[in-house]
Amino acid sequence: MKQLLITFSLILFGTILGIGQKMVSGVVTDQSGMPLIGASVVAKGAVGVGTITDVEGAYRLSLPENVNTLVFSYTGYGTREMEVGGASVINISLEEGSFLDEVVVVGYGVQRKSDVTSSISSVKGSDVATLISPTVTTQLAGRAAGVQVTTPNGILGEAPKVRIRGIASVNSGTDPLYVVDGMPIYSGYLGGEASASGLGDLNPDDIESYEVLKDGAATAIYGSRGANGVILITTKKGRKGATQISLNSSFGFANPVKLFDLLQTPDFLTIANEKRTNRGQAPWAIGSEFNTDWQAEVLNKNAFQTDHSLAVSGGNAGTTYYFSLGYNNQEGIAKSNSMDRYSLRGVLDQKIYKWLSVGTNLNVSQTSYVGLNTGGNSLSGNMFNAIRQLPNTPALDPNNPTGYNLSANGSNVGQWDNTDPVGDNISNIAFVLANNTYQSQVRRIVASAYASADIVTGLNYRLQASIDNPYTTGFIFWSPRHGDGKGYNGIIENNVDNLLRWNLQHILNYNTVFADKHSLGLTAVAEYQKEHNEGFYSQGQDLLDEFYNKVTVSNSYGVQSSGGGATESGLIAYLGRVNYNYDQKYFAQLSFRRDGLSKLSESNRWNNFLGYSLGWNVANESFWGNLKNTISQFKLRYSYAAVGNTEFGSYPYLGLTVGSRYGALNGLAFSQFGNDALTWETSKKSDFGLDVAFMSNRLRMSFDYYKNDIDNLVFSEPVPPSLGVPNNRINKNIGKSLNKGFEIEAAYDVLNSDDFRWTLGANLTLSKNQIVELPNGGADIIGGTSTNVNIAPNIIIREGESMNSLFGFEYWGVNPANGNPVYVKADGSLVQGNIPDGLYYSFDSSNPGVLGERSSLASSDRKILGNTLPTYFGGITSSMNYKQFDLNFLVRFSGGNKIFNSTRRELMNLNLNNNSTEILGRWQSPENPGDGVTPRLWASSNTFVNLSSAATTRFVEDGDFVSVDNITLGYSLANDVVSRIGISGLRVYVAAQNPIMITKYKGLNPEMEVNGVDINGTPRARIMSFGLNVKF
Amino acid sequence: MRLCWFFTAHSCTEDNILNLQPINNISVDQSFSSPSLIESSINGMYNAAAIGQYNSTSPNGGRGYIWGAAFVQQGDNRGEDVVNQATFYQLTYTATYDPTTANNVYYWIDGYRLINRCNLVIEGVTKAVADGIISSDKGNDYIGQAKFLRAITHFEMCNFFARPYHINANAPGIPYRETGVDTQAEIDAGISQGRGTVGDVYSKVLADLNDAENLISNTSLTKANKNAAIAFKTRVYLHMRDWSNVIKEGLKLEGKYTLEAHPGTPFLNSYKNSESIFSIMQDATNNPGVNAGLASQYKRRELVCISPIIWTNPGWLADDKRRYENSSDPLAMVFTGSRGVKFTNKYKDDSGYTDAAPVIRYAEVLLNMAEAYARSEDTGKGLEYLNKVRNRSLADVASQAYTDFGSKNDLVKAILLERRIEFLMEGRRWQDIHRLQQDDIAPIDGIPAKVANGVPPAAAFDLSTPYAGPYGVANVPYSDHRFVWPLPQVELDSNPNLDQNEGY
Repeated sequence: MKQLLITFSLILFGTILGIGQKMVSGVVTDQSGMPLIGASVVAKGAVGVGTITDVEGAYRLSLPENVNTLVFSYTGYGTREMEVGGASVINISLEEGSFLDEVVVVGYGVQRKSDVTSSISSVKGSDVATLISPTVTTQLAGRAAGVQVTTPNGILGEAPKVRIRGIASVNSGTDPLYVVDGMPIYSGYLGGEASASGLGDLNPDDIESYEVLKDGAATAIYGSRGANGVILITTKKGRKGATQISLNSSFGFANPVKLFDLLQTPDFLTIANEKRTNRGQAPWAIGSEFNTDWQAEVLNKNAFQTDHSLAVSGGNAGTTYYFSLGYNNQEGIAKSNSMDRYSLRGVLDQKIYKWLSVGTNLNVSQTSYVGLNTGGNSLSGNMFNAIRQLPNTPALDPNNPTGYNLSANGSNVGQWDNTDPVGDNISNIAFVLANNTYQSQVRRIVASAYASADIVTGLNYRLQASIDNPYTTGFIFWSPRHGDGKGYNGIIENNVDNLLRWNLQHILNYNTVFADKHSLGLTAVAEYQKEHNEGFYSQGQDLLDEFYNKVTVSNSYGVQSSGGGATESGLIAYLGRVNYNYDQKYFAQLSFRRDGLSKLSESNRWNNFLGYSLGWNVANESFWGNLKNTISQFKLRYSYAAVGNTEFGSYPYLGLTVGSRYGALNGLAFSQFGNDALTWETSKKSDFGLDVAFMSNRLRMSFDYYKNDIDNLVFSEPVPPSLGVPNNRINKNIGKSLNKGFEIEAAYDVLNSDDFRWTLGANLTLSKNQIVELPNGGADIIGGTSTNVNIAPNIIIREGESMNSLFGFEYWGVNPANGNPVYVKADGSLVQGNIPDGLYYSFDSSNPGVLGERSSLASSDRKILGNTLPTYFGGITSSMNYKQFDLNFLVRFSGGNKIFNSTRRELMNLNLNNNSTEILGRWQSPENPGDGVTPRLWASSNTFVNLSSAATTRFVEDGDFVSVDNITLGYSLANDVVSRIGISGLRVYVAAQNPIMITKYKGLNPEMEVNGVDINGTPRARIMSFGLNVKF
Repeated sequence: MRLCWFFTAHSCTEDNILNLQPINNISVDQSFSSPSLIESSINGMYNAAAIGQYNSTSPNGGRGYIWGAAFVQQGDNRGEDVVNQATFYQLTYTATYDPTTANNVYYWIDGYRLINRCNLVIEGVTKAVADGIISSDKGNDYIGQAKFLRAITHFEMCNFFARPYHINANAPGIPYRETGVDTQAEIDAGISQGRGTVGDVYSKVLADLNDAENLISNTSLTKANKNAAIAFKTRVYLHMRDWSNVIKEGLKLEGKYTLEAHPGTPFLNSYKNSESIFSIMQDATNNPGVNAGLASQYKRRELVCISPIIWTNPGWLADDKRRYENSSDPLAMVFTGSRGVKFTNKYKDDSGYTDAAPVIRYAEVLLNMAEAYARSEDTGKGLEYLNKVRNRSLADVASQAYTDFGSKNDLVKAILLERRIEFLMEGRRWQDIHRLQQDDIAPIDGIPAKVANGVPPAAAFDLSTPYAGPYGVANVPYSDHRFVWPLPQVELDSNPNLDQNEGY
């Protein structure tokens, strides 16, 4: 709009002056050849000479004699300069979103990238749209500095972890705020019985851009919700011009990135029986009739995945529209895991008067997930179970009424010829996956409507009302015959989660330029948001018959139960922002927000958040002079802001009770210790940055040093359990932590000819987290932030260390004389766990054959075993276009962290279970001491030999890796061919996701960890896909 | 739902958006504000006894710590009369626990969680009586029940985490909590309280049980009743070796309970029989669940079997009714599992887990009295009370009943064996091991040797050969630190005033 006004005034001036001597005309198009309507064409160096293109994208301009260069530009597209020379016709295509004049979406508005003084990373939707992925955020990995996205397993419906500049909290949320077209959406799990991520309902093809707000100045405008960073997602809108139809179709095949290297029957028999004979017990593994690959019972090969979307967009001077349909269907790496999504988006913008426009953006989707038990410690958890199964037993047994190999009483997998049942009493996972059902279906409406009025020049008022309403139905069925349902004689459940959030924003924007060089922007917002989330379930146990496995049918079960509940929360915010720059040299921004939150007590409810930033583009100073030809931009930035974090439950300050029945009697009991002094967790973020561009912006670099000081950390302070306070914790504001780091982003146009264009991008983040202060006089918090029983015992929060560091015993190796495991005590002395009697004795490496004095391996011998947060990570992107071919790839790297490979420990299981081939390196005799790491085998002694209740350095590994995340090769038909067959563009491509991983990590994948612990995850997917984009 | 469509800020009021109150939870200040809420708060106290929380994030997601199931499973697995077959109770069974292992940690955590609920009930009810919300009779009944649960829970934990009273009453005990903690000041005061001595715990247990006896008017089985307080006193006095008080308390129950004709009946009819004194109620929709329910662990999942050590003990007659096995008769007391080993059939409901957890039965009062009579030289009464329990299980009383023992010592030993048989897999074994350390007649040194963790061979259950090893789990002598459980590390991390048991 602003641009149009300027251009109009230019035309006016040009007409008045009337000194045209040379006529130039042409057509301005986008890269695909579509005309750009209203693009500006300005004569360089001649004030007031310019025009805009018409509905065909055509322009016609008369130029003064002395003008030899035309500047073409269009909002959201790059600017190109062309020498006129003697030409009278200049046709030109503009690229979308090229560097400095790119518009960046910021909180409650947009800014020109060159004006931005805060730290924001942008990713174009088109860069990632062609990759098949379960959620839109998965593909942000490696594309922006300071943004870490990891996918801890291959289960569809589970959200990737997104961390912006480290972990900002201990007990409050650590996920960023997701804002789609101004509406903060639900991004967590949406309910149901299969994992259903709140980020799985968007069609990636609908997304125009992602902006990641990283520093305080950028996030301060989101106040209480900004502490973990903000990801702004902007969806596509219609553009003026002829109707454009775009069809994207792809299909692919997914395979596990890696499988466990398990023992096959011959080695299994040797190992399993050596466990027993070492102990003087009879062999328990008998029979070599089968050699079953139990991983194949839980994992798919060539899982089919497909994605289709069709978009129609266009518009005229008054109306623009964008409609799309999307369909996505993915079969998981894990058997019994799949998703499909149907989505519909309709965007309509209508200009009613010259000064008033209205519009709506409606997204309706239905996403269905089929899930399974993936519990890292569940007897029917897919990977937990598969790696324990015995290879000499079959999955199927035609003589069993169920068709599966089950024990006589049906409780466990059948032991076949082995003398003992398989360890840990596991179920037959093949039966479980075939018979038990977990489902979620999310029907979701995200809708917004707005009215926008230009009140006077430069002053705009916008009212936007939005809702996000995910309605999730869930279903679960556990067969009564075997598996998790056996103990209940079957379970069936239906449930509903209905989440509703509405958001209303009044936004006033004022932009002006005065005295030629002062540009000023003002934003004022009042925002109201409330959510009401409720759910209920009905469940039956003790089923009449397995027949009733589709839905809870009245009177088909013996034990009936139901439940549910609701929570609400609300937010009111008043905020303002001032942007100022002088002549594109000096920049300043100030933002202020006052938030009121229902989650806190009346006296602490309101809080103020202030942020500011300053910038200086030295390259625009006159003294920079000719240096500008080499260094076209040199902008220094500084920002500071305090933001808050409030993701800590709905009523954390109140003393509460919860329904607590005794038998069938109603009961009520204390459930939450109240603390009405509870207040916000505040994060003080500062950022020093430098943006440089060289050689007419061919090379662009940004450097940022950041520091987040987090104060008033909301900790649930541990209280001595002997006081009996609920959960033995009280929510308090205590503790401080610190994140600091350094980020570099660079982009380089290696080649830019008509035939061959090549852009390289790279980003690197160095980061460090430190716990500065803890409650209780700095007492350790063993268990860290985790409540997962498999993870918590291995991690610690300790002052001076990084959050959730690994904690446990230092392993020395195996006693070469007797095969005992040897550990290092806190005082540096060595102790051996004497396998036969289960006691500790001191160890002398010069005299290993002798058991020393009785000793111990006590809790006090535990130490920090490494930090679990990567200290560096980044990515390299490459985008190449040669004639009709395009080739893109992303390489990502990360490291500096340690992982406790708990899965590897489980694969050393000493019960009657299978093992990984690592166990072949066990100590057998002084002459045959093995790999020096794996102790003597001793049946049924996991807890002692493998120290199964604590982490040890025996299983701690480096998490460093380099991964080729994706490679895409495309071919576009030439324009003349395309027009001959009556379409406007066609591209075919082939893409490989996760094709190469370079790491020394011994587990499946170094990113398959949660809080630094690798625990029985389903492998991630390697996907080969083929696709087609057609434009009509 | 009302969207704030108007341009003025005032339609989106603070009241509407910010002054929100919980929908799912009653405020803690309201939990004793009416007779029905008070009744529910009493039940909430029993909920903590029956379900616990264990490591769950859900307040009702526990595994029956302490009184819903865990006292049976832990009490059995600390002893030698069961064999743990899998990993489930292995750390307890093989004495490989440490201050972080779950079984011992949650015994403590859920025990004190129940105790705090008891204390909050005592305070809430006292105030409600003062405010005239309920009568003082009603209030006394509730307070008595809370004191009963508080007493038995401290007593139970003290015998797991501290050394025996009779060896040194001045040894470190466990903190006896008598204040409901729901303010910061109460937390600070609680932290300043140390472990105290075993003697302190025992005297407070007795004081609470005496109060309970005097205050309670309830008579139902599944809530604390006057007789339960009396019966429990016989147990406490037995540990204190105060024989005359065992007898004195026991006599108070004379005529109030009778043993059922068949030893299986108190389990078949676990909610309605003539000998159970206090049991914890379980319901099909609200129980310790598949990972703890008594019939889940001991029956359906076959995780713990009867040990050949007690099964083949020649003192347990082959035709004793407590060996009754019949897969089509629910009265049966034993079944043979899929691997040929013997399991208890005391807990029946292996899909709904509705069996009541047997906290104390009249048979125990009788055997407590038998032992007290015998040890105080009244061998005649001792034999009479022993036979009251034993004879009902004999195939032929006339020919098999005990008539005379040559010595008081043999009588006491017979009584002690009878306890192992009668209360097999009811969680009683550990408490007897604890109180018989350095006993003058039948001393046990530490934790007896046990059959190896795992599935014993079916042949080991052959009654013709008393089990004589191998013992895969070695004896842990009394002097070993492992005789008592360690205090949880989480307690020590946040409480500077409690000292860990020596050796951990």
